[in-house]
Amino acid sequence: MFDYPIFEMPFIGHRLLFAFDAILHVFISHGAAVGGSIILALTQWLAIKNNDHKLDALSYKILFTFFILATAVGALTGIGIWIHINIINPAAIGALLRVFFWKWFIEWIVFNAEMILLLWLFLIWKKHPLGTQGKKKVFNLVLSYAVASWLTMAIITAILGFMMTPGNWLKSYFPAEPDYMAALFNPSWIPSLGFRTFWSIAWAAAMAMLLTWFFTKKDLELRQKAMRLFGTVLLVCIPFFVLFGAWYYAQFPQAAKDLFWMGAITRRLAAHPEYATYLIVALSSMVLIGAVSLYTKPKHAPVFLAVMMLIGSMGLIGEFERVREFVRKPYIIYDYMYANGVRVADVPYLNKTGYLKHAAFVPPEFREVNEQNKLVAGKYLYQMQCRYCHTTNGINSVKARTAGLSEEAIYIRIGSLNSPATPFMPPFTGTDAERKALAAYLASLATHDKPALAYQKQLDEVKK
Amino acid sequence: MTDFRIIPGDIPLPLPTMGLEFMEPFFHGLLIVAWVVHILFINVLLGASLASVYFNSKGHKEKNPIYDRVAYLLTTPVTISENMGALWGVAPLLLVSILLTPLFYSSSIMISPHWLHIIYGNVVAFLLSYLYKYTWHTLEHRKTLHIFIGTVGVALFYTLPWAFMANVQLAMTPSTWTYTTHFWDALLRADTFFRLVHFYLATFAVTGVFMLVYGMYKRKSDNAEDREAGVVLTRTGKTWFIIPTVLNFFVGPLVLFSFPDYGIEAFFENGYFWGILLTVALALFSLYLLLKDFFNDDLPAKRVWTVVAVMVVAILSMASLRHGMRMGLVKPVLDASHAKTERFQRESLAAFEEAKNTPATPVATQANVHAGQSLAEKHGCLACHNADIKVVGPAYKDVAAKAYTADQIVELVKTPKPENWPGYMPMPPMPQVPAEDVKQIAEWINGLK
Ligand code: HEC
Ligand code: HEC
Repeated sequence: MFDYPIFEMPFIGHRLLFAFDAILHVFISHGAAVGGSIILALTQWLAIKNNDHKLDALSYKILFTFFILATAVGALTGIGIWIHINIINPAAIGALLRVFFWKWFIEWIVFNAEMILLLWLFLIWKKHPLGTQGKKKVFNLVLSYAVASWLTMAIITAILGFMMTPGNWLKSYFPAEPDYMAALFNPSWIPSLGFRTFWSIAWAAAMAMLLTWFFTKKDLELRQKAMRLFGTVLLVCIPFFVLFGAWYYAQFPQAAKDLFWMGAITRRLAAHPEYATYLIVALSSMVLIGAVSLYTKPKHAPVFLAVMMLIGSMGLIGEFERVREFVRKPYIIYDYMYANGVRVADVPYLNKTGYLKHAAFVPPEFREVNEQNKLVAGKYLYQMQCRYCHTTNGINSVKARTAGLSEEAIYIRIGSLNSPATPFMPPFTGTDAERKALAAYLASLATHDKPALAYQKQLDEVKK
Repeated sequence: MTDFRIIPGDIPLPLPTMGLEFMEPFFHGLLIVAWVVHILFINVLLGASLASVYFNSKGHKEKNPIYDRVAYLLTTPVTISENMGALWGVAPLLLVSILLTPLFYSSSIMISPHWLHIIYGNVVAFLLSYLYKYTWHTLEHRKTLHIFIGTVGVALFYTLPWAFMANVQLAMTPSTWTYTTHFWDALLRADTFFRLVHFYLATFAVTGVFMLVYGMYKRKSDNAEDREAGVVLTRTGKTWFIIPTVLNFFVGPLVLFSFPDYGIEAFFENGYFWGILLTVALALFSLYLLLKDFFNDDLPAKRVWTVVAVMVVAILSMASLRHGMRMGLVKPVLDASHAKTERFQRESLAAFEEAKNTPATPVATQANVHAGQSLAEKHGCLACHNADIKVVGPAYKDVAAKAYTADQIVELVKTPKPENWPGYMPMPPMPQVPAEDVKQIAEWINGLK
């Protein structure tokens, strides 16, 4: 049942549009909020313990940067993930919300606490300098803020884990009856939470090291102290997130593991999984070389090393999120819903009765395929089933993917989109006539000199 | 009965009521309250940020440091309300997403990609507002630049309600949907326009009340400059409350009567017009309270808090009647949507059972088939190849003509050589297929004539 209007994102496509917001959110909120708050708590604790005014002043500068990033970019792009998925895959987010409503609601309450603590902390910081009674209060606020940020991440991780490894969450398909506890305690929740926690801290430490470099240009002693501190945090976290990462990976369904290397590079290079290894090794060495040299020679290491370390970390995080998104294919909620919003259990019915027949936002004259309307009907089918991952002319363009193929060849090809050659695509859903219509439309894109004209002619005729 | 051209279906999962009867009304109550809190923060954000830029330029022009102080003081409520406003937008979003799923999601998509403005436009406006605030002292001697930064940020903030209002208004009026409705259709309608005007006026009125409270505290400050700033805030607060509130008495009815007829009928039938009378009476009373003391700069705390309390009740009443209007408008569609979803589920279940009971007969189980052919099917080669005709890849008959050895074919599957087949797209490498299987497939291919 496809019951939403169609929104097409030309050229960049839905996946990149979504990835832009999501990756930005992950960089900022894991770094500046979750990991950042923990780093700040640690720094404050040391500053108070040693009555270290310089470290205290540095930690305010770091807090200021993190505050701007976390509130203006992190929080908004977090809400943005929702807004994006609302318009990209409403069926999926609708389902997730029904299952995770209360967890999300609790998360929102914790998020309130997080925000209020952060604002409060930030607005009163300067009123309570080091050495006064009030500083203790500031420290308690930092600590509570760290706990609250971590809790919001803990809940979101449950939902993300669910999408990949939902476990036995559905007691019955018709009528759907979710088991809310099973959904929450899905197999990958705890390992992925551990994984994200440690790399958040490591990533925040890397950010803090870069900031330190800029904020301590005139005080190399302070730089040495701070670099050693953040460097230790970073290096200590690495073995932990590697361990949790391995545990997390073990929870993936086998089909997802099979896609792992392809997700890590592109399909063209699927014959060379070693390239993915090279990439990961290269990015990790950027991080390690940067971290170790800043740690050992903080007074002499150039800023280039800090930047390189940051780029390496961003590359690793981006790569991880990319793989995580890719290996979930062809599903958006594993075994329950395909990436294009079709529920797995509805496929037999849609194949029998037709996909367009149930599409509320397709004008009635295109819900039954015939010779006169098949290009337009085909375009609707393309927009409803393929545009999640394909664009017409831009990234992963279907026009390029079907270039040079005859209508007949396309027809045969889309009969087995979900075959082992391309297991990451959901199957085409619909009747045989609809499959022909989709093939006709795709062929008109690929082979016609003036596809737009042929299409427009049909549209005008049917409209009359 | 109104005709609805488009009836979307609902999410086929139960509402998360935990089996409790009262949960659904509770969701509606929570929606009203959370929505009000969100809107109030947004009102203060819009009002205070505009006021800050206004006083900043006034102070610059008249060389009056008090106005500059007022402008600076107003940046703190801006920071708080932009953060809290965004945060309290999440709860209504959650609730609307489960209560009005088909309507709200549909309208969000119809106005996309413009709907994304509330994220990206917001991020930029946020950053500008921080830039404005934290360069206050650095740019002390470059006021024109500073005021320019502030103005751009404020202007951007004022465009965000366009996306919101277009969305909310469209979600509330499914009778107006067509197959091609998009953002500008929704924004440039009379009903959306009146609601925007009503909203902007209310923004100034709410900020006015906020300034009364903020001014009251600042008047008690230890700092002489802040005390004077407090007086300016109190004076401004009164005007900002009184004028827009009076104007809204005229805009309100325009909003009401621009809704579709069936909604207005349901609204009056369900008695929500009492809410209007109550809201108007309370607003009039607040006007009276402030006009009485219009020239008194030392507005007593009791008076301020009375106005706040009266207006909170007025706003809650207004929010409830608006919710009543919303539900009256969407109920027929929601009912139809639920019925449609249930029917779909029933029929889908039948087809699902039927498919489960009729096992598919893949090529692999047919007797007289070469093992290589069934393996080719299993590994997805037949998605692109056919024995006799060209599909995506060449016909296997033509491949057979090249007389490759089995080992060569194993190699070619792992690392295809597109240059062997000009005019074809390159075959994706499929290293995951075991060499043993490819050998059998090769045997089958080479047996084709
Ligand atoms: C879940 C995402 C997804 C969906 C949905 C999807 N595809 Fe794909 N498709 C892909 C990816 C990824 C590729 C591989 C791109 C590459 O080669 O790098 C691909 C490749 C293709 C190819 C080329 C395959 C080949 O033979 O090499 C065709 C044709 C194609 N898609 C058609 C479709 C059609 C038609 C639909 C809609 C019915 C569709 N796809 C839906 C992800 C998707
Ligand atoms: C996504 C579509 C696709 C799939 C799936 C596919 N092929 Fe191909 N195949 C092609 C194309 C296109 C060519 C011609 C261009 C080329 O060789 O790169 C080709 C060429 C070949 C050739 C001739 C190679 C040469 O260089 O002469 C062989 C043999 C072959 N495929 C075997 C297989 C086998 C075995 C499988 C299954 C394991 C398979 N193909 C799956 C598309 C595909």
